[in-house]
Amino acid sequence: MDQLTDEQIVSAILEGDKDLYREIIKRYEKKLSHYLLKFLSNRDDMEDILQVVFIKVYKNLYGFDVNKKFSSWIYRIAHNEAVNYLKKRRGSRISLDDVEYKLIDEKADIRGGADQMFLKEDVEKVLNEMNVKYKEPIVLFYFENMSYDEISDILRIPKNTVGTLIMRGKNSIKDKLEEINKKHER
Amino acid sequence: MRDEKLENSIMGKIKSGQVKLKSKYAFLAEKLGLGTAFTFSVLLSILFFNLILFYLKETDNLKYLSFGKFGIFAFLESFPYLLVIVFIILIVFSGYLLTRSDVSYKKPFGYLAIGMIAIIMILGGILTYTNLGQSFEREARRGNESVRVFFKPLINDHNNGVAGVVFEQNENYLILQTPQGMRRVEIEEVEDIPSIKKDQFVIAVGFGEKSSFKATKIMIADKGEMPSIRRGIDFKFGEFDRKNIPPELLNFTEEEKSCIKKCFDLKKSPRECFEECHEE
Repeated sequence: MDQLTDEQIVSAILEGDKDLYREIIKRYEKKLSHYLLKFLSNRDDMEDILQVVFIKVYKNLYGFDVNKKFSSWIYRIAHNEAVNYLKKRRGSRISLDDVEYKLIDEKADIRGGADQMFLKEDVEKVLNEMNVKYKEPIVLFYFENMSYDEISDILRIPKNTVGTLIMRGKNSIKDKLEEINKKHER
Repeated sequence: MRDEKLENSIMGKIKSGQVKLKSKYAFLAEKLGLGTAFTFSVLLSILFFNLILFYLKETDNLKYLSFGKFGIFAFLESFPYLLVIVFIILIVFSGYLLTRSDVSYKKPFGYLAIGMIAIIMILGGILTYTNLGQSFEREARRGNESVRVFFKPLINDHNNGVAGVVFEQNENYLILQTPQGMRRVEIEEVEDIPSIKKDQFVIAVGFGEKSSFKATKIMIADKGEMPSIRRGIDFKFGEFDRKNIPPELLNFTEEEKSCIKKCFDLKKSPRECFEECHEE
């Protein structure tokens, strides 16, 4: 089972083996929970939305082009649901675990080479206040470890735009952290 | 240990038939419907752009602007608002359908939209070399309501401007043949009146209702400048298809027949043609 690709599993489900959808849920439950929690306020809401995502994915399996990447498609559906949720309820809370904090600190180089230390709460605050347009590619790139290509597939934007959004998002994080740092110093 | 609650709940719904796969034909129909709607919308945009160009090129609308600030009201009154509004709605709708189609997948929408608008404008421009606009104009004059509604500013009387052929010329007024009928144009208040002769094409701005019009400015126009107005006058005062009049039926010499044929091909009025050819 593990050797089958997502796309092969989808083809098998469409040929009648409905039970194989269990494997899709197994493969993506944790990944999508992690992703959705970056946008949704609480775990209960996230679980509800995750269920909606898996049901939508199943219902629309014939709409998936098996020549494309399934992971991008399922993330796209999760992305749409997260956006709908955010439209209904303003504000989301990102809470970073230590690994994620380390990731954004090192990979995004938020310190800008300076020897300054930011509190995890400060980084969380900046990420929470960030425009969803920049937050999404930042989350997908730094926390979900996705490539520009995959992000471009999920968000349906050109690859160059992904790069631009990540860069602008990163700069915005740096600027806001600088401001916070100045306030702390005062 | 993984919590299997979600997995079991979803699989339960699938197995019980509560959650079903959407039919593949639904997706196919959706794709086809989207493609058809997009094509239809772009074709209509091309048609409407062509009609706007046709209207601006062939009617008196733009000509009123040559009066400067005096011609603004006449220009606004004869402007084809509905054609422009529908064109804009169609462009927006086509753009929306474009964002939903596979064509725009991962491509920058701005460039695609510019490309789409450029294609619509180029094809709409090319169509002006056909008789499409004239066919719509003819339908509008014949009273086809679905077309007439778009050409209302051309067909209805104007209160701020008038264009037509001089039928009668007097010291204080002119009688013009216009697509709407005969119209008396008072020229007492016009400064610098050009030397106007019978059968000349004139355009004036001022104010007036129905049959009477008080001109403030008047201008002599070339015959070919507002073909739509000329066609409207022909339609009103002598409706026939020039090409269908066989000169053989009339008692002319071979030379006269060929002269009349050539003259009809130039789309001049029958009276002009008969006079021109008779003079020879």
